[in-house]
Amino acid sequence: MPDITLTNVAKNYAGHGSAAVEDLSLTIADGEFMCLLGPSGCGKTTTLRMIAGLEHLSGGEIAIGGRIVDSLSAAVFVPPEQRRLGLVFQSYALWPHMTVERNIDFGLRLRKLPEAERRAKANDVMEKLRIRDYAARYPAQLSGGQQQRVALARMLAVNPDILLLDEPLSNLDAALRLEMRAELRRLHEEFRTTIVFVTHDQWEAMTLATTIAVMNGGRLQQVGAPDDIYSRPVNRFVAEFIGNPPINMIALGGNPVADGLAARLGSKLDLADAASIGIRPEEIAFAAGDNAVPLGMLRLESIMPTGGSWIVELSLGSERLFHATHSRPTVKPGDTVACFARAEGLHRFDINQQRIETTEIRAASAAKPAGADRSALLPA
Amino acid sequence: MAMIGKTTNAANEKGRAHTPVLRKMRHQLAVASSDPVIAIGLVLAAVFALLILAPVISILVNVAIVQIGDAARTRAPEGAWTAYYLTRAFASRMSGILLWQPLLNTASVAIGAIVISMSVGGLLAWLVNRTELPGRGWFSTALIIPFMLPTWTLALAWTTIFKNRTVGGQPGWLENLGFATPDWLAYGRLPMIIILSLHYAPFVILILGSALQRFDAQLEDSARILGASRRRVAFQIVLPLMRPALLSCCLLILADCIGEFAVPYVLGLPVGFDTLSTSLYRAISTRQTGMAAVMAAVIMVIGVLTLYIDTRMMREARRFAIVGGKGAMDRRRSLGRWQMPATGLALAFVAVGVVIPLLTLFLSTIMRVPGRFTPENFTFDYWIGSDLGTVALRNGILLTPEFWSAGLNTLIIIGAASLASGVLGLLVGYVVIRSRFAALGNFLRQITFMPYLVPGIAFAAAILTLFAVPRGPIPALYGTSIILMLALIADQMPFASRSGIAAMAQLGKEPEEAARIAGAGWLRRMTGIVMPIQKRALASAILLPFISGIKGVSLFIILAVPATDVLTTYSLRLVDYNYTQAANAVVLMIALLALFGTILINRLTGNGIAKGLES
Repeated sequence: MPDITLTNVAKNYAGHGSAAVEDLSLTIADGEFMCLLGPSGCGKTTTLRMIAGLEHLSGGEIAIGGRIVDSLSAAVFVPPEQRRLGLVFQSYALWPHMTVERNIDFGLRLRKLPEAERRAKANDVMEKLRIRDYAARYPAQLSGGQQQRVALARMLAVNPDILLLDEPLSNLDAALRLEMRAELRRLHEEFRTTIVFVTHDQWEAMTLATTIAVMNGGRLQQVGAPDDIYSRPVNRFVAEFIGNPPINMIALGGNPVADGLAARLGSKLDLADAASIGIRPEEIAFAAGDNAVPLGMLRLESIMPTGGSWIVELSLGSERLFHATHSRPTVKPGDTVACFARAEGLHRFDINQQRIETTEIRAASAAKPAGADRSALLPA
Repeated sequence: MAMIGKTTNAANEKGRAHTPVLRKMRHQLAVASSDPVIAIGLVLAAVFALLILAPVISILVNVAIVQIGDAARTRAPEGAWTAYYLTRAFASRMSGILLWQPLLNTASVAIGAIVISMSVGGLLAWLVNRTELPGRGWFSTALIIPFMLPTWTLALAWTTIFKNRTVGGQPGWLENLGFATPDWLAYGRLPMIIILSLHYAPFVILILGSALQRFDAQLEDSARILGASRRRVAFQIVLPLMRPALLSCCLLILADCIGEFAVPYVLGLPVGFDTLSTSLYRAISTRQTGMAAVMAAVIMVIGVLTLYIDTRMMREARRFAIVGGKGAMDRRRSLGRWQMPATGLALAFVAVGVVIPLLTLFLSTIMRVPGRFTPENFTFDYWIGSDLGTVALRNGILLTPEFWSAGLNTLIIIGAASLASGVLGLLVGYVVIRSRFAALGNFLRQITFMPYLVPGIAFAAAILTLFAVPRGPIPALYGTSIILMLALIADQMPFASRSGIAAMAQLGKEPEEAARIAGAGWLRRMTGIVMPIQKRALASAILLPFISGIKGVSLFIILAVPATDVLTTYSLRLVDYNYTQAANAVVLMIALLALFGTILINRLTGNGIAKGLES
């Protein structure tokens, strides 16, 4: 069964200064549900289209199941129609002049299957995706969610080993999205296909993927399981991109407020090489738990209910911090509260914005005078 | 499991250096061979280079080369470079007659037509779109009809009524009723201005109307809320935002008027009122190839300048891109005591532009003596009679075999050419939108637009000089219907390619990419996906050229021979031989064909007359 291997893949568009994708090496294993995640313009869709063969490489090599499909050094290019994979477009790209059934039948016809088998396969996949009733309708007569299922069915009918999805949920409303997400998971388990999924929505990536590849500016940032990406971001970009509300990022050094905070954190953490520190909103607490570090006395600015949870805006001098909680806050705007954070929930980044990995926690030495560590905080 | 290949920048640099140029080219070749778009583009480029570029270049070259038979006059051998023709046209004793007077005539007619059509059309556009004019829905179609009729239909109707003794043949109605019509009313500048105004006023209504409809009402509302009066809103908000549409309208009418041939041919030639296009025709028909080239080049230069200004202004107009926002405009004001005059104006326009010309043409075909409204003077002989006692054309037009063969020719020649230009236009759109090489797309886009700048007559003349004699593998084509088709195809490419590009741009590449992913090869994608989705666009890209081909005069008047007569040239031959009734009968049929054809296209494409004609 096919692995997809990308080796030093690069893509430049003529007339554009910067590369769309640069030096991308990634292996997508058989049966994996891989999510390419990143902000718009990060090269994730370009990567997907290169795997599909709709774009050719400017450098590097792509192999599917050990067969080179696009390579500059081997001067090989296999056109998309011969790659035998499935791709669901963001716009669904249903053929407007064909009924649902004809849309699904199209690929089966090209594989020259006998009529009876074609019908059986089309019926089977329509059944699975619950669109049997719409078989005779035209795409324009379907709702967004139905169109999305037809687009999926069209690709699944030919039973591709690899299914590529380009933001297929972004045009759906919130309720449908949730439903389709569950459906995609179910399909992945049922069909056992390798799925590569492109999205800018971290929530979608987190809930669906077995592995996430975070991209930014045409470069791969981090590859890992969703939990890994969230709890151990390799750099500031990943830390700030993943998480909603976003991580609180505090630049160390330079201003007295940050210095004071650094002094308090320094009691438990080694901040020797740290240029900035990130605290996830849900890691902030109003009571000291196990292994907690004090953040200091913060002023509560506002409380924003989001239905079942609350986002609390806190200020420490000029710094703004957000705290997310599932229990109704008992404090009021204007109050000053003592805040703490779990030491494991603090992420340190060096001046190159890379994660500082060592997480040995210092023995409590709160007695240390504030400002003593200051020299250590400044970037080397 | 997933992993990141640990490659440093340095390793990557090395990797790139290791891919030699030759390999890269072989890779490009592998990519290109999987997708025939470039091959198709190159074939199209070659076809259009031969069909469009070569004739245009030959015109420009002929300006400065001694033509056959001019050796003595220019004192240089045939084919040598010479400034003789340019000097003769611009700076000789003859240049007044040859160039300046026709230029002045053309300019005065064009400016007159622009002023009148803009004011009448602008007023009517406002009435139809912004006021509670009674019968707006009906008017919005009826007012457009003069634009669907060939200009020379109106011209022939005009002569039927106003013709005087200056020209031989059957007199006009007024003359027969005892009113001697002066020359200035019967021929020349004034009737030309009136007829062109009638023809282009609907064009103004279309363009301004659609701009008015797209105008975001919120822009107006904001001004009103801030306390601006209705008048202030009109002059400081609406008019400035409409300016690009107004100016563009002006320039397009100007470009069309300069190339207009049929109207001056009917109304100007009899009294020696020459415009640029008729002097070009004179030069061609008297075999003055060099002078013809100069005239053609002058018209081309004016056309290029006009369009250059238009594109420049359109670029400027992008700053006003908010026009076309969401707020649909449906603000109408009641006309109050102006209701009657306004309705009267609209009705008068329909009467003068549609009813009277068509009725005149029809009546003229059933009257023995023009303008005598007595019962015994009416007859259907000119349609279905036989043994009429005339020298030629002894039967009614419907019983004349030449008429039917001209009709059949029209269908075959124009039909085939329209089919070809529709398909070529779609292919051009395909290459322009899909090609990875912007240069190829731009070349095709520009070359297919070129015929728009060349007056039909000049283009026909160039095609004639190029293809009349055998050249390389191409045999002599003079007198064949193929040369007509080639000229027609080239002539229709500006429209066909633009509508093809628009259609392909609208389609987007995803439906076709989805078919690629499903495993469909190129031919399969074209026939199974692209063409079926575009069938409406394709139908209108074939039908619209067909209609405009039926109306067209200038190409055929040069290229058609009696054996390849189409309805237009046949009717003009009848005009020339003074079979007025028969000629008008044919003209009437062409007019009705054009009218109902256009209406059919609208039904078919379902996007309203405005859109179809605008593009």
